[in-house]
Amino acid sequence: MTNFFAGLGRYGLWCIQFLRAVLTHGPPKGQTLHEAFRIGIKSLPILLIISAFVGTNLALQGYNAFKPLGGQRLVGMFVALAGVRELAPIIAAAMIAAKAGTEMASQIGVMRIREQVDALEVMAVNPLAFLVAPRLIGIVLMLPALTLIAIFVMMSAAYAVSVFQLGLAGHEFIQFASESIAPIDFFYGAIKAMFFGLIICTVSCYFGFHCGKGPEGVGTATNRAVVTSSVICIVLNYFVSELLYGGAL
Amino acid sequence: MLNALAALGRFGGFSVAIAARLVRRPLFFGHILNQTWVTTTRCLLPVVAVTFPFGMVMALQGLEIFRLFGAERMLASLISIATLREISPVLASVLVAAQGGSSCAASLGAMRIKEELDATEVMAIDAIKYHVAPRVVAMTIACPLLNIAGSVSGVAGGYFTAVFIKGESGGTFMAELWSFMQPIDLYGGVLKTTVFGLLIGLISCYHGYRASGGAAGVGKAVNDTVVHSVVAFITMNYFLTSALFGSVSP
Repeated sequence: MTNFFAGLGRYGLWCIQFLRAVLTHGPPKGQTLHEAFRIGIKSLPILLIISAFVGTNLALQGYNAFKPLGGQRLVGMFVALAGVRELAPIIAAAMIAAKAGTEMASQIGVMRIREQVDALEVMAVNPLAFLVAPRLIGIVLMLPALTLIAIFVMMSAAYAVSVFQLGLAGHEFIQFASESIAPIDFFYGAIKAMFFGLIICTVSCYFGFHCGKGPEGVGTATNRAVVTSSVICIVLNYFVSELLYGGAL
Repeated sequence: MLNALAALGRFGGFSVAIAARLVRRPLFFGHILNQTWVTTTRCLLPVVAVTFPFGMVMALQGLEIFRLFGAERMLASLISIATLREISPVLASVLVAAQGGSSCAASLGAMRIKEELDATEVMAIDAIKYHVAPRVVAMTIACPLLNIAGSVSGVAGGYFTAVFIKGESGGTFMAELWSFMQPIDLYGGVLKTTVFGLLIGLISCYHGYRASGGAAGVGKAVNDTVVHSVVAFITMNYFLTSALFGSVSP
């Protein structure tokens, strides 16, 4: 328990340090687009596969849930509400945490144990601004875009399953889906994704910077990074949802 | 493309090698129990910490939908069916892959890099039998156990939001909880997570066992483990859902 709070405090101090480093040094030029490209493009194929299969399952379960009420036609509404509002941002965040987050933690961890981070400091380059800032900007730029792509793929897969496997009418699906979702929902999804990107990047880089010794150290840091960031994202999701959809606004 | 096919073949060969070790004694039961205990206790907190808020979100969004029809009492059965069938198996498996699978890959990878696996072989102990097979079996046992914990905490999260925050009646919630439930809903999720646990165990041990290239190799093995196992079991999930629940009308 004490360890937990100590870790939380270290993380907070690290974030303040990082903020100060960025404000005084600024991110390196040219690196940001490179990182954004790597985060976005490398995670895209996996995100496409995952969101397609989540969409198919949403359609199947929505059909099962509404059939006893005689409301099979509502599958479109169910998929649109559940997919666009909750599942697409969560799935995109979890996949980016698993793919890009672990990569950040292990890259920075390896740099730490090979003393490359210390070498940067010796050369008077601030490692926080040089290593973390471009990754942070990259992920905050890319995650909303990836979320919107995930929404599109999820809806298409759900449409395919409901029309070709479950035999529902395609125009009804589209009609119910578009009636239950407003354009503002996509905007909210993008806002959620930005918060998630911020959490994933800072948590993963924090664990990378505080990596233990040797190969086990890198393994443990990577492991902790993905678990901690996905748990924080899902807990945070409740509060953001309550704020955006719970009637508080 | 050719590389992916070759990797798939190597993975198949590795799985067969593990299966061959599991039909002959000794099976190292103590080792299996120990690994199961470690995996379950390590993953329990993350699984509960993820499924509870997700149940809360489901209650939040479900109430909005059902309020349109004035059918707020349906909320409990929606939450229980969705949690038992999909949400808890998938989220618990994601967390098992992220926590248990990646720590399994990290420890096996570190053993490989430090040549501990070779040392085991030199002592005439079969490394796959002693180090790998118990981990795979342990993951296959731990995943369904964690799914049960996740289901309970997901429903509890839904109850928390619906009753304590949104002020629905708690008695109605508990009464409607099982109204659409079928026996298959109770064991379908456990069946699914057993398959997912097997997949996670095999994939994580495969990547850990074949790690190479120093500390960076261990990091890459962990990264590959999480990504590949999540893709594998989410793909599998669609087929299992179609097979188990496709013909059941709740």
